[in-house]
Amino acid sequence: MKQIYRFWNNPKRSAWIFLAPSLVLLLMFSVIPMFIGLGLSLFDVPVTMDTAKFVGLQNFVQAFHDKRFLNSLRVTAVFTLIEVPIQTFGAMMIAALITKNNGVNKVLRGIYFLPVICSATAIGIMWKMILHSNIGFIPAVLQSFGLGKINFLNTPGLTIFVVTFISIWRSFGISAIVYVTAIQQVSPSLYEAAEMDGAGKIRQFFSITAPSIRPTFWYILMTRLAGSLQIFDIIYTTTNGGPNYTTESTVTYIYNRAFSTTSSMGYASAMSVILFLIIMVVTVLLYRRMNKEESS
Amino acid sequence: MKKGSTAKKVAGTIPVMVLLIVLALLVLVPVVWMVCSAFKTEREIISWPPTFFPKSFTLSNFTDVQKRIDILRYMLNSAIYAGGTTCLAVIVNSMAGYAYAFYNFKGKTGAFLITLATMMVPIQVIMVPLFLIVFKMHMYDTYFGLIIPRVAVAGSIFLMRSAFSGIPHELAEAARIDGLSEWGIFWRIMIPQVKPAIITLIILSVNGSWNDLLWPMLITSSTEMRTLANGLALFVGQNTIEYGAAFAGAFISLIPMFVLYIFGQKYFVEGMASSGLKG
Repeated sequence: MKQIYRFWNNPKRSAWIFLAPSLVLLLMFSVIPMFIGLGLSLFDVPVTMDTAKFVGLQNFVQAFHDKRFLNSLRVTAVFTLIEVPIQTFGAMMIAALITKNNGVNKVLRGIYFLPVICSATAIGIMWKMILHSNIGFIPAVLQSFGLGKINFLNTPGLTIFVVTFISIWRSFGISAIVYVTAIQQVSPSLYEAAEMDGAGKIRQFFSITAPSIRPTFWYILMTRLAGSLQIFDIIYTTTNGGPNYTTESTVTYIYNRAFSTTSSMGYASAMSVILFLIIMVVTVLLYRRMNKEESS
Repeated sequence: MKKGSTAKKVAGTIPVMVLLIVLALLVLVPVVWMVCSAFKTEREIISWPPTFFPKSFTLSNFTDVQKRIDILRYMLNSAIYAGGTTCLAVIVNSMAGYAYAFYNFKGKTGAFLITLATMMVPIQVIMVPLFLIVFKMHMYDTYFGLIIPRVAVAGSIFLMRSAFSGIPHELAEAARIDGLSEWGIFWRIMIPQVKPAIITLIILSVNGSWNDLLWPMLITSSTEMRTLANGLALFVGQNTIEYGAAFAGAFISLIPMFVLYIFGQKYFVEGMASSGLKG
């Protein structure tokens, strides 16, 4: 016993003791699943999960002929193209307006941050109800202004924008607060110098604030982009893909194909692999762009 | 001259204030309306035009929701899931963070790269194989299945690593000379030094798992195993007509995190700024 203790108490070896639990868990529940997923995408696995037939790349061929999958990619793209710019640029501008540590700003920041503590379920319930065409407060207010009753969550063409809005509502505050933390670290002397030169607030934002917080900008851009491409829970709790699949994102479709009566694990895995490749390519491209910009 | 610029400044602040207040209302209105509606009678809820503040105050929605779904059981499950994950996450991730910050050993880069790589594989992408692994390990629909796979998180390891990096190495050397074991150095000397990072990790982990939806949906199937977020979503998904109960359930689910937020706002903000965004 004592010998075992002595053997492992050596700093060079005990490092592995400290690392072992996390490495084992990460390998088992993150790295290995990745490879299993790649493998599964080449098989046809029935609901019973006791057999698997090798089908080569057939699942991938099927995906690119699957109208519902192509539609889900389009929905995800629309969603991402609206959400990401608002989260990255919009939140930055709002953040610049609330960086000073006075009472009003602290209250505002506290409010903007509130959605972070709400589950997607609670957010789904509150927005589904407040937009509800029979009991909702917002349709009632719009009606009192003489507008017709709009069925926000059940109108093809409109609902995707409503869901995007709800998703932005959920995480706009976090992006803004992360920016605030970054802006507060910009040296005040830069602003003083600009003030002496007679630069206005807007000018200061573009020539001092924005360039100084570049790393935060890239960080938010990349995390938001990856997050938007994987959008699932807000859609699940508001529309679950409806009406007519107009809000069915890729992950929503994958989930439905993997865990429903028409379950097809191999096919769902193939779609996951495609989504993963898309996320990888976008992230790598952005990463290279970022490095180029930072070295210049 | 000076007066003119002050007037201009004030004129410039008003639209900004209006914008900020509109945004604040946009956040608050749905939350407050939902909380108010949880105390309205079913008749008031379905009346048109809907009210904002309750005319008559009732608690019947809260008893209704317990009659329809076992919300107390769901809360217990959420607490077990959030509590279990968080306790293990604090131990496992701070151990790893400590190893990366304080030890030099063969294979360090390799291990670090593996950890880093897991950040690139979000659960949404590997949900099918994860489900299969948990199923084949006979952990499907159990607390173990809910908790164990969610313990190690690369983001939390990095958070702890950077917290430990701020501690001078001489502290460990001195303790070693005093005859403390490696584990003793970590547990008794190092952990107390990184308390703020640990509180941040606890808050992020509790909030993340309490509000988590996808994972409990994947890993549980029986009614007795449902968490609050998962069970409520299924309840509302099937019965959108039981409005009062839905409002009450959603309100109940907010309370614990709201309390956490009041006491730990600073740590919430720090955690979000340093260890990554979700969703």
